[in-house]
Parts: sequence; structure tokens; C-alpha cells
Amino acid sequence: MRPSRTMTGRVAVALATLALVAAACGAAGTSPTATSQPTLGPTEIPTLAPTDVPPDQVTGTLSVLDWTGYDAEWAWQDFKNTYKNAKVTFAFGDSDAEQYGQMKAGGTFDVFHPYTGWLQFYVDEGLAAEIDTTKLKNWDKVPDSFKKIGQINGKQYFVPWDWGFTSILYRTDKITTPVDSWSILFDPKYKGHLSMWDDGPGAVTVSSYVHGYNETAITADQLASIKAEWTAQATLNKAYWTAETDLVQMMSSGEAWAAYAWQGAYATLLGKGVPVAYATPKEGRNSWVGVYGIRKDSPNYDLALKFLDAKLGLLTGQNLVANYYYGSANGDVMKGITDPTLKQAFSVDDPSILTKTNFTPNLTAAQRDAWTAMWTEVKASQ
Amino acid sequence: MASADSRPADTADPRRRSFRFLLSPPAVVLALFLILPVLLMVVVSFRPDLSGNLLGAFAPTLKQYQQAFAGAGYWRSLGISALTALGVAAIATTLAYPIAYFLAFRAGKRAALYLILLLVPFWTSYLLRVMAWKVMLGEGGVINSVLLWSGAISQPLDALLYNRGAVIVTLVYVWIPFAALPILAGLGRIDIRLHDAAADLYASPWQQLRRVTLPLSLPGVVAAFFMVFIPTVGEYVTPLLVGGTGGSMYGNIIQDFFTRAANWPLGSALSVIMLSATLGLVVVGLRIVDPRRLLAR
Repeated sequence: MRPSRTMTGRVAVALATLALVAAACGAAGTSPTATSQPTLGPTEIPTLAPTDVPPDQVTGTLSVLDWTGYDAEWAWQDFKNTYKNAKVTFAFGDSDAEQYGQMKAGGTFDVFHPYTGWLQFYVDEGLAAEIDTTKLKNWDKVPDSFKKIGQINGKQYFVPWDWGFTSILYRTDKITTPVDSWSILFDPKYKGHLSMWDDGPGAVTVSSYVHGYNETAITADQLASIKAEWTAQATLNKAYWTAETDLVQMMSSGEAWAAYAWQGAYATLLGKGVPVAYATPKEGRNSWVGVYGIRKDSPNYDLALKFLDAKLGLLTGQNLVANYYYGSANGDVMKGITDPTLKQAFSVDDPSILTKTNFTPNLTAAQRDAWTAMWTEVKASQ
Repeated sequence: MASADSRPADTADPRRRSFRFLLSPPAVVLALFLILPVLLMVVVSFRPDLSGNLLGAFAPTLKQYQQAFAGAGYWRSLGISALTALGVAAIATTLAYPIAYFLAFRAGKRAALYLILLLVPFWTSYLLRVMAWKVMLGEGGVINSVLLWSGAISQPLDALLYNRGAVIVTLVYVWIPFAALPILAGLGRIDIRLHDAAADLYASPWQQLRRVTLPLSLPGVVAAFFMVFIPTVGEYVTPLLVGGTGGSMYGNIIQDFFTRAANWPLGSALSVIMLSATLGLVVVGLRIVDPRRLLAR
């Protein structure tokens, strides 16, 4: 019967549409999560945070804006172990700009997690509360150089937590002469095998190192020549990477031979047995630091302080090093590293490494807009 | 409905009332989640920067549009994105047509089953399907491995992935099942007796397709084409994953300004430009294919 066949067709289309909607809903909910397990040792006692109330009686719910993966319990193990009756909820933003946007749009998170370069904006826009460091028991374990990074306009607005290097990561089987300069990213010899991080300020940083520009005072002329330099570099670049996992995949498959990289990728590739080295460029390595801030006017300021203090706890710091190969702001954690791969990744045995390192400076809003627009134009011109 | 017929027909027409009643939930949803955000986007595009209260008053400026119009790269990228979308929509629609034709006229009782099979890939995440193409096209990927193994090449081809070609291949793959649906709906409306009539009049199968089936299914084909074309102009996920340095599209620029640069005003201005350009292209496209003729069947 023809009419019934038409009906079958319609039912089938309706079914298919339903299937599509269901599939789309399923897809929207997927997000990568950390699967690593916490490395809880039997003799490790969680560091207690300051409180007048016994930890068991501390209640309340803390809302944290963080990066995907840092919601895993290992990343806040000390807090979890100490304040058993307090609840923590997480929201995510997977770039500094995204988190800043969420905070700007009126997000009522108690705690947020920006990285060096973005701190000034939070203070300028009145989004960050001053930190009462006298209430942080683990504060004296943080080296002064890290404390200073969380200070804006002479006041402590942020608590440093995670840090790492940025340098050139390269395949030693493909590039046999040791890499000693950031300028390898512009070397035509490696055309089609280079990979830059997809980031405007990152590109300005590299050019500043190579040409000796003052990164905090880039002139319009310098920015124009940086733009020209990266526009030319694009023909050599295999792909810009956005997530560290993309970079790891390109390096291990041999598609990329040399790349702008965080040391997490270096440690991961070493662990996989891929022949790689992490350069100590003559212009210096770059270093980034992640900090936690408390939103101004947060009704949970005290609980947020306890959270930040517990974040600096020994166990949480050790978990960070073990799971993500990032450094902890707790000096005791770094001194206790014994794994040779990690020691190598952090250059723990090289006492001069930090003096050869350039910390990412804070940007102004005008610099951020100009540098990111420059980078977008570089990409649009391909 | 006898009582309804006795009521005055102007304001209290129950059919019209129930129509309005049924229409109001989607209208509210559209107003809240489509029209309002678009208006907000337009408003934000006139902000000088992101500082200050986002919903507070500000001095409107055309600065963002000036910057957007001044950047030659942006125009180039918009043009490339429109051309890419055009190509992807044309290829996906063409490839989807035989599938829809088979499902409508040849699959018989199993049509529903085949349709579900066609849509099986959608049961997994979109990202996963795009990542699968990385595995297919990569230097150590399936295609290269087979070619190396067969001796056809001695070095892996590195031109398969991280370029615009990879973006087009992946997008065509992603869109074919979507494009098949409106075409199938169009073909489903065709009275199959018309084929018999055409055959009675000595039309060859090719003539039947060209003179009967294709013209009658054109509304579905046009719908499929635009269903692929419109979202592809603003596509950003696929180029990000398989496009490499030279494969980025206009959507990537907009995404950059929102998620990497925190420059919402410029991102909004670029979005408004893209929205206008896409609408303009659709209007021109619909003029060319003459919707009145298609709808008058």
C-alpha cells in the first residue's frame, strides 16, 4: 500500500530526528575528566588549616571556578580529608579568557583559578578580594618569589598553587643538534614540523625573547614586526596546539619535531618513551604560575580561605606533581621529589634554572586586546 | 466541534486560539534563547571594551566595526569560510541524495532500519567522530599505513591532515546523514504513481529522475543544502582539530575573541558581520533557485 509506505517514511524521519536529538544531547554532556588516582601514602597526614571550629564542624558549600580535571578529588585532597562536612561544587572554564568572562558576567563563584598574565584584570575590575595570609597555615612554605606573583598593587590578592616551565620541546631523533634558542620556531629547515601554542601573548613572548624586546612595553612598531614574523612562520608551522594533549599526540606521532611546550608535555612524552628533550634556551625559559583568588563579596570568604590553605597542603601538592607533572607552590613538595623523570622535567638539580627563567608578566587590558587581535590576524591571513 | 462553529469567527476562533496557545511555548523559548542573545550580541558589539558592568550603560562606539572592517585577513577568512561551506554543502547534498533516494523508493520495509543505521554514528560524540578522522588521515594513520604496507608510497603522506582538504572531508562526512533527512522528507511526499505514469509515457529511468523526481524533491534538496551551508560558515571545532595552521575558518576567529582573548565586543562585531553575510547569501541563493516555484507545487 502506497499511502502506508509514505507513513512509514514519515515515522522513520521522525524516529531519525529523535535519534539525532538524543545523540546531540549525549554529545553535549561529554567532557574529558581526569582519571588518575590520588597517590595517598599510609603515613601522610593531611595538613590542618586554621580554624577556631573543629574541622568536622565546618559546614557550607564552596563554589569553585576551575579548569577541567582540577575537580578530581586528588587536586583538593587535603580539604576533602580535613573538612568532611563541607561541600565543594565545581564549574569550568578551559581558558583564562573563558574564566574571566564568566566572572565578568556576574558568576557567583567563591574561588577562581587564573594564571599569570591575567591577574591584574581581576583586581582592576573589582572581582578579587584581598587574601588574609595570617589565616593560612601553609603560607610559610611558599617561596617569596611565588608569593610576590600573587601581589597586585602591593597587596596579596592571590595564592599561588601550580607552576611550570615553557620552553622548546623537541624530538632528539629528528633534530640531532641540541636546541639552544627559541628561534628554532622560525627555522625553515624544519618546515612543516614545528608547532606553536595557539596564543597571541605567547607569540609576543617568544618574539620578545628572540629579539630582546621588553615584553612589558612592546611598541606598535615592534608589534607590527612580530605580526609579520609570525605570519611568515605560519608557512612553517604544522598546526597550532590548544590543548596539551594535542601537542603530545603530534610529538609522539612524529608530525611535530619542535614545539613551544609546557613541561607537562615533556614529562608525559618521557614517560611514553618518546625521544624528546626540553631545551634551556640561551634567551631563558618562560615560567607560568597558576593562582587561586577569592571573589570580592563572596559570602563564604572564611571557607574559601580554608580551601586555599588546604590547596597548599603537602598531599594535594604531591598529587599535583604526580598526576599532572606540574610544580607545587609548596616548597616542601618540590624538595621531596625523588622521581628522576620529574627531577629532570623541573630541573630540580640545576640551582640556576630559576635565574634563567622569565616569569610571565601581567598584561594590561589594552596589551591583551592588541596582542590577541594581532594573533587572530596572523591566523586569518593563512 | 459543533459548539465551536457557533461562536463568532473573528477574535474567539478556537482554532486560532489553540494555535496561539500551542505556539506560545516555542515562541517564548525562541525569544529568550535566540532573539534575546542575538540582540545582546548586537549591543555588546557597540561596547568600547569589556571593562565595567556588562549590563550597565556605556558610550556606544563603532570602534569594533572599524577594526573588523580594517582587518583584510578577516574578510579573506570570511570569504574562504563561505566558499568552504558552499563546497561542503554541495558535496554533502549530492552524496546524500542517492542515500535518501534508496531509502525512499528502494529500501521498502527496511527503510526505517537503514535510516537508523545511517544515524548510528550520531550515537557517539561529535568530537569523537572528528578525532576518528585524525586517526584516518594522520602520518601514522590508517590511510598512510595501508599505502606504506602496499608499497604505493615509501614515505608517509603528510598532506592528508592539517589542511583545508581535511576540514572539507571531515565536514562532508559529518553532514551527509543530516542532509539526507530533508531530502528523504521531500522524496517521501512524491506520489510513487507518478513514476508509473512517467514509465507509461515511455520515460526512461534517467528521464523519470530528471523530469519527475528531482524537480519534485527540490524543496528538500534546497533545505538540505542550506541546513549544511548555514552552520558550516561559522564552523570552528572541525578546523581546530584537523585544519592545522592553514585550515582555520571565520568561526575560529570569533571563538578566539570570546574564549582566548576576552574581547567580546570585537567578537560580537565579527559575529554580526558573519550573521549578516550568511543571511545575505541565503537570500541571494533563494532568489536564484526561486522558492515560489518550488513551493507552488
